[in-house]
Amino acid sequence: MVSRPLAESELVERARSGDEDAYEQLVRAHQGIAFRVAFLVVGSAPEAEEAAQEGFLKAYRALGRFRRGASFRPWLLQIVANEARNRRRAAGRRAALALRAAEEGSSGGAAPSPEGSLLAGEERERLLGAVNTLRDEERLVITCRYFLELSEEETAAALGVRPGTVKSRTSRALARLREELGEAYA
Amino acid sequence: MPELELALRALGREVEFPATPDLASAVGRRLGERRLWWRRPLAVAVAVLVVAVAAALAVPSARTAIFDWLGIGGARIVRVQELPPAPTVGHLDLGRPVSLAEARRLSPWLLVPSADDPGDPDRVSYSTAIPGGKVTFLWGTPQHVRLLLTEFRGEAFLEKLVRPESDVESVTVDGYRGAWFEEPHVLVYTDSRGRVRENTSRLVGRTLLWQRGDVTLRLEGELSKADALRIASRLQP
Repeated sequence: MVSRPLAESELVERARSGDEDAYEQLVRAHQGIAFRVAFLVVGSAPEAEEAAQEGFLKAYRALGRFRRGASFRPWLLQIVANEARNRRRAAGRRAALALRAAEEGSSGGAAPSPEGSLLAGEERERLLGAVNTLRDEERLVITCRYFLELSEEETAAALGVRPGTVKSRTSRALARLREELGEAYA
Repeated sequence: MPELELALRALGREVEFPATPDLASAVGRRLGERRLWWRRPLAVAVAVLVVAVAAALAVPSARTAIFDWLGIGGARIVRVQELPPAPTVGHLDLGRPVSLAEARRLSPWLLVPSADDPGDPDRVSYSTAIPGGKVTFLWGTPQHVRLLLTEFRGEAFLEKLVRPESDVESVTVDGYRGAWFEEPHVLVYTDSRGRVRENTSRLVGRTLLWQRGDVTLRLEGELSKADALRIASRLQP
């Protein structure tokens, strides 16, 4: 039995009036990206899970303040990322995020990126190494923008900064990466 | 798009993230628990609300809009827009040190923690700051509290101010109603002269608050909800 999936705005509207099933559908639609953003911020899967779960619950209670017609994802990511930041601060540690490249073939045959071919192994390691040497705030902006492919607006919401700051921070981080990587990306 | 940015996107698709947990089911479950929480008699609710509003307004720094409230015995949970300022770690108003036997004599209603779990307290105190008396069991030292159990008779007014987005979860301890706080909050109470005071209860974030008969109990510390519930269920008269 397949029924037509409801539009997101319709789900938000229903959730707002107390329809918990509608909200659960919204959570399901966004849990992947929310969890990854939380993971990038806190740097640990169990902490990210807690932060995302709390974030979703807080967002549910805050639905009354959600502006109708606005886009739901940046609003949600803001709440989840904020929860994740609070946890990181409470833990008093820097998110020591060590991204690990997936094993060959473990991506389950995912299509190569439309922009070009997959990176060669060695280059991948080198690039990842460079990203990992970035300062926290620069690494976050790079991972949100390029790894998670968040829009500028969503990245700004997730990092709790203005879109202008995302722009300047991104270009600073890119410059630093170019410096680190030498002429390959000059 | 410049080459570096393309390469970063390609890299992003090959980076391994931990598998996404089933958050939707967990959130759905917790929403269901919250819904049950609100099925309470309206008459009691209104009565408590009146007192809660009056009490919160009596505290100058808490004179902010009240969003909602929950009543448990002599304690009420009030949501306010902003928490009044309080030091992160303040002095603990524990009262005077007493022996367990004396605490029992002064407070015949006392429930005593199990000697096996969490073990004998490092300090037992008695205070008349709350009308009817208050007994505190402390594990650790007043400077480094590991666990704190406070008990008092329910007629005193005691409030916990929490931010609107703070999570307060409904729990039961041996069938008695209670609440579990994950986050810091501020405690407000009247002293024995009826003056409203703020306590420095931001020393710990996690608290189990429940009522058993006419005794209100509060267990605070760096402990999980499961630990708190277990310790609470093992208290004995």
